[in-house]
This record gives sequence, structure tokens and C-alpha cells, in this order.
Amino acid sequence: MIQGGWSYVWAAYAVTVSGLAALALIVTLQARRWAARARALEANKRAEP
Amino acid sequence: MLSTLANPARFMQLSAWLAPLFGVIAVVLFAIGLPWALIYSPADYQQGETVRIMYVHVPAAWWSLAIYGFMGVASFVGLVWRHALADIAARAAAPIGATFAGLCLITGSLWGAPTWGTWWEWDGRLTSMLVLFIIYLGYLALWSAIEDEERAARLAAILCLVGLINLPIVHFSVVWWSTLHQPASVFRPGGSAIDPAMLGPLFTMAFAYMALFATLLFANMRAAINRRRVEAARLRGMSAA
Repeated sequence: MIQGGWSYVWAAYAVTVSGLAALALIVTLQARRWAARARALEANKRAEP
Repeated sequence: MLSTLANPARFMQLSAWLAPLFGVIAVVLFAIGLPWALIYSPADYQQGETVRIMYVHVPAAWWSLAIYGFMGVASFVGLVWRHALADIAARAAAPIGATFAGLCLITGSLWGAPTWGTWWEWDGRLTSMLVLFIIYLGYLALWSAIEDEERAARLAAILCLVGLINLPIVHFSVVWWSTLHQPASVFRPGGSAIDPAMLGPLFTMAFAYMALFATLLFANMRAAINRRRVEAARLRGMSAA
């Protein structure tokens, strides 16, 4: 049986969690940014006479 | 369901609550799956503690392949029926699939070092997985390189469909060629070769990845639809002026 190996396990989990968290953060920020712009556009349209 | 979602306005209504719902499901499944995989699942009689890498590596591999298949279907629909939402779906899925494929390669390398004694080997499974990752990057690069979105969608869809040939190569590589990588051990004729105590955390993590994919796909698609609306309004404003 392979002895130890925890350093590889921690590295794999650290890479996975940070990679997925970074992806989720980027996607969320981008979605919020375009949602805010679309809302501003709608508000401008409604404000027009 | 699909025809309902195919209407952009209805898609925006539905995805407004589907995206956070899948987000909550993903957080709950990761909160259960990560400690189960890291602490409560048993060590392997041969691989010892390093078997725990399986719980992050295998779902990343499964979903990077499945997401590419999803992109293939969406690209086909976009190419044949010229449905804008299908192009948006394919493009929105690509960065998620690329991240999963990249994580699969890195965690696979971290698993290979202690078990095989090497970080990398140019064998069938590893090389075809690297090719999948490169196809993902090429697909994203093609979308970014062409300004005309309709033309970009057409060319990216063709690239995606050509790249589909790599999916069976990845899947059957362990059967066709002599490889360091083990053959299929979960979905195989005769049932799973993995101990049931390990299947629980593995499937929990797989469903967590799936829920995360759904959340990010909906969020990416909503961002793309909002961006198109804003840009269309800006163009209308410029032509009116």
C-alpha cells in the first residue's frame, strides 16, 4: 500500500476548490455586471417620454 | 421543456430562479461531499489515502466530457435551426467545460505522481484528455477572435462538431491502447468495480459538479442575453443619432 500521500491529496483538493471558486466568482461577477447594465437600459427606456 | 426554454424571454424568467436553486443544491452537495470524500471515506488497500483524489478527479473528467457532448448538441441545433439560444448555450458551457478538463488534468497528474511514479505519460487516455482541453481553448479563442457573432457562432459550431470525434477516443482509449490509466471501473459491463463505501462520496461529488455546471451555465447564458440586449440598444441609439 502507498504510505502517506496526503500532500498530493491536499494539493488536488486545494487546486479543485480554488479553481471552481474562481470560476464561480468570475461567472457571477460577469452576470451581475450585465444584469445591472440591462436594468439601467430598461430604466432609461421607461424614463423616455 | 426544451421548447419552453428556447424562448429567450421565458428562459430569462425560468433561469432567474433555476440558477440560484441549482447554486444552493451545489453548495449543499459540496458541503456533504467534500468532508465525506476527505475524512469519512475509507482509504484504498493499494493506493492508501491517495485514492481520495478520485472524488475530485473523476467527476471533473465525466463532466468535461458530458459538457462537450452538450455543446455538440447545442452547436448542431444552432447550425441547423439557427437558434440563437443554442449558440449562447454552447458558448456559455465552454469555459465551464474547459475548467473541468483543466482540473481533471491537474488532479490526474497529482494522482499519477504517487501511484504511477510519473506526473505525465503520453498514453492514449492522458493525451486524448489533453486534446479535449486544447479543443475547449481553441473553441473559446475562435469565439473571441471573430467580431461578427453570427459568423463566430457558425465557425465555432463547426469546430465543436469536428471535435466531437475526440469523445469516443477519450472514452475507449483505455480499451484500444495499452495505457497506464485504469480501465472504466464505475460504468462498465458487469457492474462497478469500486467498493460501495466509495461510490457514495463519488456520486455526491459528481452531482455537486453537475449542479455547479447548471448554475454557471444559466448565469453565463443570462449574462450573454443581457449583453446582447445592451449592445443592440447601443447600436440602435447610434443609428438613430
